[in-house]
Amino acid sequence: MTIFKTTALAATIALGAISATAEDFPERPINLIAPFNAGGGTDLLLRGFAPHFAEAVGGDVFVSNMAGGSGTVAAGALAGQRPDGYQLGYFSITVSTIQPQIKDVPYNIDSWSPICSVAASPTLLFANADSPFNTAEDVVAAVKAEPGKYIFGSSGPGAMTHLTTVAAFAGLGILDDLKHLPFQGSGPALQAMAAGTIQFFGDTEILMTRGDFKPLMVFNDERLANYPDVPTAAEVGIEAPLNELYLWGGLFAPAGTDPAVVEKLSTSCEAAVNSDGFQEFAAQTSTVLNYRNAADFEAFYRAQYGSNAAIIEAAGL
Amino acid sequence: MIEVLPQALGLILTPQGLMVLSFGTMLGIVLGALPGIGSTVAVAMILPFTLTMDQAPAILLLLAIYAGSVYGGSISAILINTPGTPQSAATCLDGFPMAQRGEAGKALGWSTIASVVGGLVSAVVLIFAAPQLAAFALNFGPIETFALILLGLTCIVSVSEGSLVKGLIAGMIGLFLSSVGGDPITGEARFTFGEFQLIAGFNLLAVVIGVFALSEVLIRATKPGDDGATLISFQGIILPKLAEWKGRLKNLAKSVLIGNGIGILPGTGAATAAFISYAEARRSAPTRANFGKGEPDGLIASESANNAVTGGALVPTMALGIPGDAITAVMLATLTLHGVTPGVRLMEDNPVLMAAIFSGFFVINLMLLPLGMMVSKVAAPLLRLREAYMLVVITLLCTLGVYFVRGNPFDLLVMALAGIIGFLLRRQGYPMAPLVIGMVLGPTLEISLRQGLIITDGSFAAFFSGHPIALLLAIAALGMLSLPFIRMWRTRAA
Repeated sequence: MTIFKTTALAATIALGAISATAEDFPERPINLIAPFNAGGGTDLLLRGFAPHFAEAVGGDVFVSNMAGGSGTVAAGALAGQRPDGYQLGYFSITVSTIQPQIKDVPYNIDSWSPICSVAASPTLLFANADSPFNTAEDVVAAVKAEPGKYIFGSSGPGAMTHLTTVAAFAGLGILDDLKHLPFQGSGPALQAMAAGTIQFFGDTEILMTRGDFKPLMVFNDERLANYPDVPTAAEVGIEAPLNELYLWGGLFAPAGTDPAVVEKLSTSCEAAVNSDGFQEFAAQTSTVLNYRNAADFEAFYRAQYGSNAAIIEAAGL
Repeated sequence: MIEVLPQALGLILTPQGLMVLSFGTMLGIVLGALPGIGSTVAVAMILPFTLTMDQAPAILLLLAIYAGSVYGGSISAILINTPGTPQSAATCLDGFPMAQRGEAGKALGWSTIASVVGGLVSAVVLIFAAPQLAAFALNFGPIETFALILLGLTCIVSVSEGSLVKGLIAGMIGLFLSSVGGDPITGEARFTFGEFQLIAGFNLLAVVIGVFALSEVLIRATKPGDDGATLISFQGIILPKLAEWKGRLKNLAKSVLIGNGIGILPGTGAATAAFISYAEARRSAPTRANFGKGEPDGLIASESANNAVTGGALVPTMALGIPGDAITAVMLATLTLHGVTPGVRLMEDNPVLMAAIFSGFFVINLMLLPLGMMVSKVAAPLLRLREAYMLVVITLLCTLGVYFVRGNPFDLLVMALAGIIGFLLRRQGYPMAPLVIGMVLGPTLEISLRQGLIITDGSFAAFFSGHPIALLLAIAALGMLSLPFIRMWRTRAA
């Protein structure tokens, strides 16, 4: 893999001198950057996506990893790069819209030319299956009766799991009566759920099915097909912008990328997302695909940046 | 589990199955022996290749890589004083002095047998008691974890060569380094001085490689002497004779138990287990006076414990479907990719597959012995390089390994600085093992302490009043701390 990287680097240097026009794009391999370690969820998704993207774009595509700082190290490194479309980052909602609002990172809302969104899964708030809570009202009543007794967990401050629980409890008006216990990753937090150390956790559907949990609400615009009895956040009285939360991710290029190149990448992305091979991959990994083209994704991304500010404020980050 | 064993063995004992197991174990040993490429990276590197394989071979390949890499780390620890993985840092302490004495083959013999025994016992425990143990592990909340880490920190006392004060200072440096970066509870950046790269903190691997391997290179490079000499003479593994085990079996058994127990608990890991087990051996073994100077009991303690962790770590992963660390998370991701849903019903829903995985894990540990001997043979001619060349090779391997982990050039800077600072500290007589212990245990110590304080509303006293396990561990930690004083007082009285 190192040899491959070196070869790719050599190719990059050798071909860098030749100036490219959009018609000829791509003339050299495209690098998809996973901002997390190899083997993680993002990395796996990107490695499943790369061959189909390569086929659609008509060139070579390789995945590299640059981990650290909840994904901000890779995003910070990409933000200053030449906007030639050969280096794309796969960034999630947290890397692109949350981290730049809570940390001093070298990029902001205007650092990117969004290419396309690939996946988006709504999150759910859930409790242990054998807990006494069956509805949001049960939770409110119990928490109001004994403020400070119940604890919700997260996979880390500012993570999607944290925002989900904050959106739920701030939306229900009981955030100050609960304690927050951050863990390092979802794994230890789910163990703490099983042990009863924490009573509530929020994550996507696939994570929830890992344990004996029962969903209390879903942060989607409609009820989920698999859980027709679970109300949406809006139905239990949580108001916008706290009522919808999606763990989404998509490709970003540095700002200033040639619109024709963005267009080409975006249509290739659509073909890759719709390819049979990637659809099958997504079905096996329970990934909810959600393609948006460059214009739609940019509008969505900017709207998310704004609405997430409200949750960040509620979370006190 | 036992009813489906024959069926499960049918899945493993096929030409393809055995090939996957032996190839994976060998590759794991090689990757583990290369400095920088730790178990997590090794497993993640191989993951893409498993996508086209069947369920059982895919997960068995990853398990083989995992177990192989934990063992492989000890080879470079012993031969070139460079822990291939942080888990093997404790192995350097007695392994390298033995090698310097010209007993490299013997040192590897001890570590190999210890690794195999540790791995095999943990495999048996996994096969027969995974669900029960996983249920017990759930008793370990943040407060119990904090007490355990406290006990782990007392290891600093026993690995402080020469001066205890200098050891404690090195330990404090390690703890401080681990606190640089994002606050685990609030997310705020600490001690970064506006340097964005430091938000992620110092990379453990870069620091470990720097203070152990690079500083060693610098020390050797600055030593005047015959640069035509070779570093270590090594012809191949020499297995210890049965008679030599006399008096060491108790140490072996205890170390395996410690490794297994710590592996099962969430949020700890093989490096912690190796150090705790080493410290315990150093406290209780009859040979304790020789520790740090090339004592086989030290090797046995660290290597049997870190390999016993592998099976232990699989207990909660397989029984609860919840990963305890990055490596087991990758394994669960692999299961998902192959259409198996990890979760509390993992073992109930896939009994044959799980039995195949567990018994395959047993076979992998059996294979460590012949394959380890083969791989070390290959390393032998490499070690006959002249010292000057060898030092260059070590530096290159470290650089590649550290860069490879995260693809971040900043880590190379960290490694270089750690190497230089490590070199200066070692010249002043500061031991490096306490620094690594501080850095390994620091993050867990901090987050478990602060989580505990959130749970008890800030009352430290409540840590021990309602938590018997935590109380026991804290008393044990106190005992470990006061033992040297009691011994001193006794000798004075006598």
